[in-house]
Amino acid sequence: MTLGGKRSGAVFPLLAAALLGALALSAATGPVSISPRAAFDAIFRGTDDTPARVLLSLRLPRALLGALVGGALASSGVAFQALLRNPLADPYILGVSGGAAVGALTVALFLSADASPLLPLCAFGGAALSALVVFLLARRRSGVSPERLILMGVVVGAFLNAVIMLMVTLAPPGKIPGALYWLMGDLGLGTPRRVAVLFPYVALGTVLLYLLSRGLDLLLLGDHAAFQAGLSVERVKTATYLTASLLAGSVVAVSGLIGFVGLIVPHGARVLVGSGHRRLLPAAFLLGGAFLVLSDTLARAASPAGELPVGAVTALAGAPFFLYLLRRNGGNP
Amino acid sequence: MGRVRIAVERRFLAGFLPVVLLLASAIDRPAFSADRFPLALKDDRGVTVRLAVPPRRVVSLAPSLTEIVFLLGRGGSLVGVTRFCNVPAAASGLPKIGGVSDPDVERIVALSPDLVLCTTDGNPRDKVRALEEMGIPCFAVAPQDLEAVFTAIERLGVLLGAADRGRVEAGALRRRARLASPSSRNADKPAALFVVSTAPIIAAGEGTFMDELVRLAGGRNAAARFSGRYPRLSVEGLVAAHPDVIFVAGMAGVERFPPEVTRWKEVPAFRDGAVITLDGDLVTRPGPRLVTALERVSAALAHWRAGRPKAPAAGAEEKR
Repeated sequence: MTLGGKRSGAVFPLLAAALLGALALSAATGPVSISPRAAFDAIFRGTDDTPARVLLSLRLPRALLGALVGGALASSGVAFQALLRNPLADPYILGVSGGAAVGALTVALFLSADASPLLPLCAFGGAALSALVVFLLARRRSGVSPERLILMGVVVGAFLNAVIMLMVTLAPPGKIPGALYWLMGDLGLGTPRRVAVLFPYVALGTVLLYLLSRGLDLLLLGDHAAFQAGLSVERVKTATYLTASLLAGSVVAVSGLIGFVGLIVPHGARVLVGSGHRRLLPAAFLLGGAFLVLSDTLARAASPAGELPVGAVTALAGAPFFLYLLRRNGGNP
Repeated sequence: MGRVRIAVERRFLAGFLPVVLLLASAIDRPAFSADRFPLALKDDRGVTVRLAVPPRRVVSLAPSLTEIVFLLGRGGSLVGVTRFCNVPAAASGLPKIGGVSDPDVERIVALSPDLVLCTTDGNPRDKVRALEEMGIPCFAVAPQDLEAVFTAIERLGVLLGAADRGRVEAGALRRRARLASPSSRNADKPAALFVVSTAPIIAAGEGTFMDELVRLAGGRNAAARFSGRYPRLSVEGLVAAHPDVIFVAGMAGVERFPPEVTRWKEVPAFRDGAVITLDGDLVTRPGPRLVTALERVSAALAHWRAGRPKAPAAGAEEKR
C-alpha cells in the first residue's frame, strides 16, 4: 500500500497518456495506408473517402472497443479478487465464461446463420444466467462466503465445460467456426454501434464499483472485521458480485473470452498505486484498456497471415511484462 | 502419367525408375488389368502396400477417396466410409466408421477390410498406424494439386484392380480441366478472393486447392498478399485486398457476409455484386469434382471479363 504511495502523483497522468498513445498507435496501424494528413482531414474536416471511412468506422471503433473491454475486464477482476479474497480470481472464475460460451454455441448450432446478430445477446444471457445460478447456489441464510462462491463457481464451470465439449463434438462440420473464433476473443466486431451498445454497461459498472470501493477495502479485512467497521457486508458483497458479473458478461458479449487481462492487470495496477480501491479501480481500468489496445494492435500487425487471436497475444506479451512488474515488487502482489 | 510412381514387384527390374517400370508394363501388356496382382504400390507416405488379390472389402477414411472409389466403378467394394461421405448418394447408405479426424479403429477392424484408403491431410497418423499393426494394409493419398488428384485416381485404379478405368477417368478429367483454363495468357486477370468463412472472414491463401482453381481459371488470388494457407482477414484487410470477384465456399450456413461488411463498396466485388457461392464440398475435397469447381470458377471469371468494358468508370474514380 505504501509502496505505491510515494510515486503515485504522476501515475494517473502517465496511465492516461499510455491509453491515449495506445489508441493513437492502434488507429495508425492497418493494411490500408492512411497518411497523417488524411487522418487529420477525416477527423477534423469530415472528409468521406476510403481512408477516412477506414479510420472512422473500422479502426477507431475497434480501438475504443479494446479500451472499454480491457478496462472493464481489469475492473471486474479487481472486484472479484476483493470479493473472493483470492489473488487468482478473474472475471471468468465464477462460470461467466462457460455460460457465455454455451449461449454463443447455442446460437451457432440451433439457430440459422442469419441469427448471428443474436450471438452476443445470447452470450450475455448465458453469462448472466450462470452467474445468477452460482450466486443462488452459494447463498445461505448466513450469507455468501467466498469459499462457497468459488466452490459453486468451479462446479458450475465444470458442468458447463462438459456441455461445451459435447456441443463442439456433436456439431455438424463447418457449423461453429464463427463461434469458436469468437470464443477465443475477438475485437474485430468493433463497429461504432457495438461501442455505443457496450459503453453504458461499462460506464455504469465501473462507476458502481467505484462507489463500492470503500466496502471493497473493508472486505479485504475479512467479513467479521468489515462488519465491526460498520459495513453491511452482505449488501456490499451482493452488489459487487452482480456488478462485476454484469460487467464481465457484457464484455464477453461483444468480444468473446479474452483471458489474462482480468487476472493480471489488477496485480500490475496494485504495484503502481497500492491496494486502496479508490485508486486501484481507475488505475486498473486505464492499465487494462491500454494493455488490451496494444495487444490488439500487435495481433493485427504482427502476423502477415492475417489476424492472430488477441487472447493469445495478451498472454504471450503480457505474462513476461507482469512477471517483471511483480518480481520488481519483491514478489508481493 | 509422367509422375506415376509404381513399383510392380519383380526382382529383375528392381533399380529401374518406377516411372519407366509402369510405362514398360503398360506398353508390354495391353491391359494392366485386375489380374496383374499380386502388386506392390508405394503410397504418398512412402509405405509400400502389397496386395495379393484385388481388394474386396475397402474402407475409405475421406469423402474425396470415397468419391474416387465410386468414380472407378468399385463402389461395391466399399464396406465402410466416414460420416461425411455423402457423394455419390449411394455412399450415404454405407456403414459409418466415424469422421475424418476421428475414425473409430475398432469399428474399422470389425468390418474386416482388406484395404483402408486414408489421407495424410486429416486422418490421424496414430490411428492409421494402429490399423497397420493389426495387419490391415493402409494406402495413403495426399494430393496437393489438381494434377496430383488425377494421378491419385490412376494409382487408386491400379490398386483397386480398375487400372483401365482409372486412366480413362483421369484422362477425361484432364481434358475438362484444360478446356476450363483460358488459353490466352494476357487476358485480364481479375483479383479473386476465395473465402471459407464469412464471419470471421477466412480466406484461402497460397497452397490451397482454391488458390490453384483461381490461378487455373485465369485469375489471381487476392489473398496471396497474406501468408499462410487460411489467413484470417479483418474488414480492413478485405478492403486492402480489393477483390474483383469473391467466391464463398459455403459450409453449413456461413455463406453470407453480414451487411456491415458488404457496405464497403470500395471492394469491387461488393460494388458489382460479384459474390458467388459454391458448394464448400466442391472446392475443399481433393476429388474428381474439383474439376466441376474449376469449370464454375472459370465461368464466373469469364463472366467478369465480359462485363469488364462497361464498368471501368465506376472503378477508376475512387483510386485517388
